[in-house]
Amino acid sequence: MFIRIQRGSSIPVSRQMDAQIRAQILAGSLRPGDQLPSVRQLARELAVNVNTVLRVYERLSAEGFIDLRHGDGTYVAERPKDADSSQLAERRREFYLELDALVRRGLMLGVTAAELPQRLAESIERVQRDASFINPLGRNNEASS
Amino acid sequence: MSRPAIVVQHLRQGYGRNMVLHDVSLEIPRGQTFALLGRNGAGKTTLIRTLLGLLRPSGGTVEVLGLDPALKPLEIRSRVGYLAEDQAMYGWMTADDMTRFLAPFYPTWDAGLASELLDRFAVPRHARIKHLSKGENVRLGLALALAHRPEIVILDDPALGLDPITRKQFSRDVIEHLQAEGRAVFYSSHLLYEVEAVADAVAILDQGRIVRAGATEDLQREVKRVVLSPEALAGRPSPANLLDVRRDAARIAVTLDDSGPWIAGLRADGVEHVVEDLSLDEIFEAFVIGRVDGWPKSSTPLNAAVA
Repeated sequence: MFIRIQRGSSIPVSRQMDAQIRAQILAGSLRPGDQLPSVRQLARELAVNVNTVLRVYERLSAEGFIDLRHGDGTYVAERPKDADSSQLAERRREFYLELDALVRRGLMLGVTAAELPQRLAESIERVQRDASFINPLGRNNEASS
Repeated sequence: MSRPAIVVQHLRQGYGRNMVLHDVSLEIPRGQTFALLGRNGAGKTTLIRTLLGLLRPSGGTVEVLGLDPALKPLEIRSRVGYLAEDQAMYGWMTADDMTRFLAPFYPTWDAGLASELLDRFAVPRHARIKHLSKGENVRLGLALALAHRPEIVILDDPALGLDPITRKQFSRDVIEHLQAEGRAVFYSSHLLYEVEAVADAVAILDQGRIVRAGATEDLQREVKRVVLSPEALAGRPSPANLLDVRRDAARIAVTLDDSGPWIAGLRADGVEHVVEDLSLDEIFEAFVIGRVDGWPKSSTPLNAAVA
C-alpha cells in the first residue's frame, strides 16, 4: 500500500488517507486478504497522528472495506460485488458534483456556456490519446460485472 | 483519572500596557496532542513558563495534573517533561554525563530508559554536547525530557532550526514515544504544516489571546473561503464570523468561520458562488492578519443587485 500525504494541503490529512486507501481497494491494487500496516506503524511511517490513522481505519472498517481483527491485524475485506458498484455510483455522484463546481468556476472566469462543450470535447480527446489515463475504477467495474 | 491534564482559566500575564496574555482559557485532556500556534512574540513561551510554575499568573487560574504550578513547582517539574526552545546544556559534558547529572533531580528518573532513549534517538553518548548537531541536540533534549516517565510533555517550539528531514523524524518520535503511549503532549510551534498532521487539536494564540481552538479537522471543516461576484454579495448581511474580505476587479473572496449556515443561505437563494477548502496555514493567516474592512457597503438597494 502506498500513501502519499501532502502537508499544508487544503484537504485534511484523514481525507487524503481515506481516499487513497479506498481508491487502491476499488482499483484492485489492494486485494481482499491483503494485510495493511498496523495503526502505529502507519502513523510512524507517515508521521501522522495515531488517532487520525485510527479514525480512518475505523471509518473504512464501518463501510466494509477493511477488517480490524483484534490482536491479529488489519486486512482488506472480502466485499460483495454490489457493494463495490454502489460505492462506484457514489464516487460518480461526487464526480458530477465536482464537474458542476468546475463549470461554475469556468463561468465565473468568463468562459462562455457556448464554449464549454468544445472545451470538454478537446479535453476528452487529450485524455483518450493516452490510454493510461483511463480510469482504473471503470476498468475494475467492467472486470467484475 | 478523567481530570484533564491541563486546565487554564482566564489566565492573564503582565500588567497595564505590557499585558502578554489576556484572558487565556484552554483545556487539554490526558492523551491529547495539543499544538499552540502563534507568531513570534504572541505569548507562547510565557504561557509555557506559567504552566511550569516559573511564572506566577497575574490573574486567573492554572492547573497542571490537578496542581497549581506556582505553588508546587518542584512536583510539577518531576511529573512534567520539558524541552525548552533553546535549552542551555553544559557543552563540555557528554550525553552520558548529562543523564547522570540530571538523575538526582528527579525521583522517578529511569536510568535504563534514559540509556535506551539515547540509543533509539541515535544520540552520540561520548561526544561533548557542544559538538552535537542541532538535530542531535533536540533529540538529546527529548530523551532527557522523557527519562523520568513524565505524565505530560511540554515542548517549546522543538522543531525550530531543524532541517525538513530531521523535523519529520522528530514528529515520528513524538508520535511513537508519546502519542502511542497515551501521554498528553503540549507543544508550541509556528510550523503549521508539521503540526497539522501530528496534533489532535490546535489553538491559535495572537497578541496574547486565544482567537480559535479546536480539532484541526474541525477547523478545516468550519473555516472556508467563498468566492462570489460583488453583485451577488450586495444587500446580504455580513456573516457573524467574518475573518477576511479580499476583492479584485470582478470577484470578492470572503473567508469566514462557522461557514455552514451562511453557505447554506447562499445555496438556498440560488446565489452563484464557489466554496474553497483552506489549508491550516491559510486558516491561521485569516485569524491573525485577516481584514474585514473590504466588505461592500450596503448602500446598493436590493433590487438594483438583482438586475
